Amino acid sequence: MTTNESREIQPREKEVLLTEDPRTGVVFRPDVDILEQSDAFVIYADMPGASEETVDIQLEKGVLSLHARLAQTPPNVRTLYAEYRDGSYFREFRLSEDIDAAGVSARMKDGVLELRLPKSAEKKPRRIEVQAA
Amino acid sequence: MATFTLTRPTALNPWLGLMNELRRDLNSAFRPHDGVFKGTRGVYPLVNLHESEDGYVLTAELPGVSPDHITVSVEGSTVTLSGERKIEYSVGKGTAIHRRERQSGSFRRAFELPAEIDLEHARASHKNGVLTLTLPKAASAKPRQIAIETR
Repeated sequence: MTTNESREIQPREKEVLLTEDPRTGVVFRPDVDILEQSDAFVIYADMPGASEETVDIQLEKGVLSLHARLAQTPPNVRTLYAEYRDGSYFREFRLSEDIDAAGVSARMKDGVLELRLPKSAEKKPRRIEVQAA
Repeated sequence: MATFTLTRPTALNPWLGLMNELRRDLNSAFRPHDGVFKGTRGVYPLVNLHESEDGYVLTAELPGVSPDHITVSVEGSTVTLSGERKIEYSVGKGTAIHRRERQSGSFRRAFELPAEIDLEHARASHKNGVLTLTLPKAASAKPRQIAIETR
């Protein structure tokens, strides 16, 4: 089916993880798209409010975990109405053994994290630095 | 680290929908912005409205939406946000999509604020996937002190 007007967005409710930490507030599970290309897997994760400074990516024992703190409410304001909350993001993925852990790269643009996981046979724990887009 | 995530309701497990609602109600009992949090069902984008000293600050979560694809218009006390979130992947030639959760499409929302907005000084900025509208109240909507005449 083709139409001139684009389809209206079908909103998904933000998924809240059951783990609720009093220090971090609510923990959201970011929506992701996962693509496989000939040489790599690519993960896109929606994390509005998170920046390259607040995102932390760990890869250890074949588990890739994403964690991000959310920006706080603007200062000197009183909230009248809220549809979303401050909190943090968390999601983890178990990687197959053919990922080259040393070659994993990440970048952040407009609140979307892009992770590139090159295919290979190595596997060792490391920490990934996030670069500004 | 052990995490537990509820999955979406399916025909095989209709109780998950009810469990999610119960979970939402329980979560909302312990939320920080008591009284102002209205939930997040069925609308895009999600917005928060704050009041500042001279007006309003409206924030909207629009990750991955380029500012070129967002239109903000203000008329009197009504603010309209519209645009399109485009997510396109070229599939084929060795590329496959394994998971697709991020939604795309057009959106439009209008908000009636409690006071008229000063159009000259309204500003919009976009950072980390969050759109922030700074909307000062029009001079006619600001409180004024009225001198009392004596006779």
